[in-house]
Amino acid sequence: MEFFLQQLVNGLTLGGVYALIALGYSMVYGILKLLNFAHGDVYMVGAFAGYAVLVAFGGPTDPRIPVVVLIFAMFLAGMAASGILGVVIERFAYRPLRNAPRIAPLISAVGVSFFLQNAALLVAGARFRSYGTAKMVDPSTGLQWGPLRISIIRIVVILSAVALMVVLHLLVKRTKLGKAMRATAYDREAAAMMGIDVDRVIVATFLIGSVLAGAAGVMVGLVFSRVFHFMGFIAGLKGFTAAVIGGIGSIPGAMMGGLLIGLAEAFSAGYISSTFQNLIVFGLLIAFLLIRPRGIFGVPEPVKV
Amino acid sequence: MRRLQSRFAWWAVFALVVAACGGGGGEATTTTEAATTTAPPATQATTTTAAPTTAAPQVCEAKIGLMAPITGPAASIGEEQRNWAVFAVDRYNDENGTNFELVEGDTALDPAQASTVAQQFAADDAILGVVGPAGSQEVEAVGPIFSDATMAFVSMSATRESLTDGSLPTFFRVVPHDGQQGPTDARFMVEELAASKVMIIDDQTSYSTGLADTTAATLADAGVEVVRESVSQDVTDFSALVAKIDDATDVVFLPWQIAANAQLFGEQMAEQGKDAVIFGSDGLFSPSDFTIEGAYVSSFAPDIRGIPEDAELVAAYEAQYGEFGTFGPPTYAATVVLLDAIKSLCDAGTELTRDAVVEAVRAVDQPTSILGQPIRFTENGDVDGGRFFIFQIKGGNYELVK
Repeated sequence: MEFFLQQLVNGLTLGGVYALIALGYSMVYGILKLLNFAHGDVYMVGAFAGYAVLVAFGGPTDPRIPVVVLIFAMFLAGMAASGILGVVIERFAYRPLRNAPRIAPLISAVGVSFFLQNAALLVAGARFRSYGTAKMVDPSTGLQWGPLRISIIRIVVILSAVALMVVLHLLVKRTKLGKAMRATAYDREAAAMMGIDVDRVIVATFLIGSVLAGAAGVMVGLVFSRVFHFMGFIAGLKGFTAAVIGGIGSIPGAMMGGLLIGLAEAFSAGYISSTFQNLIVFGLLIAFLLIRPRGIFGVPEPVKV
Repeated sequence: MRRLQSRFAWWAVFALVVAACGGGGGEATTTTEAATTTAPPATQATTTTAAPTTAAPQVCEAKIGLMAPITGPAASIGEEQRNWAVFAVDRYNDENGTNFELVEGDTALDPAQASTVAQQFAADDAILGVVGPAGSQEVEAVGPIFSDATMAFVSMSATRESLTDGSLPTFFRVVPHDGQQGPTDARFMVEELAASKVMIIDDQTSYSTGLADTTAATLADAGVEVVRESVSQDVTDFSALVAKIDDATDVVFLPWQIAANAQLFGEQMAEQGKDAVIFGSDGLFSPSDFTIEGAYVSSFAPDIRGIPEDAELVAAYEAQYGEFGTFGPPTYAATVVLLDAIKSLCDAGTELTRDAVVEAVRAVDQPTSILGQPIRFTENGDVDGGRFFIFQIKGGNYELVK
């Protein structure tokens, strides 16, 4: 039983991160019908920005400001860097191709992804960087319930992922911008005719999605400690898988899909074999594409006459 | 409507394929560029092949190639190897008044790309010998090319046992092979750590599975219970695997290439309150990235920071390039072996040819080296008397225990 609960906690942490990445994919797809393959690398840049702040304030062993403030600053930096990057990518890599065939922005996305990976390689070098969270926060502190342990950092990560998703949900459902985003996703041309500034909505979507990815990057740095130039590739694929399984374009779908992938990884490693972890996750993707291509929460695309 | 849905499905599959292919393609592009810049025009060859035979001492000059994974997934290792090779050539030229030049070739740890680089090197008459390649799979791929070209190549990190079975007459390596490491590690676990149950987790590379196999076999012979697991290097989280370590497990053996992964693994063990000892190999030797207290690491190379004679060298390197792990110093050793061999030909007034360089490398007899041990080669190109070193991490320092 405690083995099951331990794997549940492991899966939820990872799932929270995947969900935040998946949201960016899903929101952009919902509005532009574009698979933004550079999204994983935006997340990588967020992780590096958090690392830069950590180093600037003395590193994990000898932080110059209180740890709580430092972690908060790292989140802010990661989110800001990724947010700005997302907007810049939209402006220079996708907007000029807005009316091109759909394959063009897709290729542009893959290009941006390579550009970011190699830029990070050039700037930060190839070495794995470590947040060294264990030196900042004792990994054995946290909740302990019999043999089950949940470290304080995991709790912080799960809670902040949930908080960000709640904020996003409120933003989409309750604000004017959210309404504009939903309208644009439903029908871009009609939204424009109704006086919605579609360009502004698209920029906002990229900004929000990238900010979430930046937060996910810092979270991964905190819990899983390793940051390197190539980290966005596989995480991006997992986030994409989560978005598709949840129903691409759907916000609750991305959240569910992320959690599902995280849990699938944890339980397949725990009960089946870690060898087949990736096989099972991507097998799940193929199964969904074959059986239910619109995903769990996916709304069928409206047919326009 | 259904058609739209299924069309989307195809799009998604297509996109995934594009992304997947792109992964490999991207590396190839960056590296082709590196390869083209490193391939010099063939005309330069004429200036260097003619050896000085006159009595007046002339500058000994030649080109050597370097094959390392400068980009790609193993770039962290390749960067260190490249830096140490450049450092070695610069230093050698300064100390000996020679004029050796290093031609860099990026292999991205990919056998196919290594073959392309090898062909370029073989076609360039000015290149008399090669340092590298780094991976065993690459050595196997380039072996026939270099055999045909009678090009001496000295690897700094290829440890697969079969490479020195005599099939590659121009191959040498300055590190011992895996056939020695697995049993050494297993015996240490049994004799020194009194292990009764060991979990072995490989990282799904050929290096790792090979070493895991030989270690598991020796452990099983000694009556130790062995549990095998395997996890990709790309995995973000090991906590699901960590949860599988039971109380009876004494040792977790991680023959991994990426130290930061093992660091996370160790931290997650602490997080979940697991007491087993981590025992790692080569790649985990990294005082900057792997600092789990009490863990053991076996390495094909010593920590040269612990060798007093190397103090000046270490300081000079660190001043120029910063910190390093265990992959750099063997590269330095391999480079110096090759340069010594070529210089011995110059000193003897022999014509500099590739045939002569192969024989000169075979005859190399360094009473001491950066690795703190003499370097001379066996008939098949193995370093004579090569051994593995076992360290334990105490107070953040790597202490030699065996």
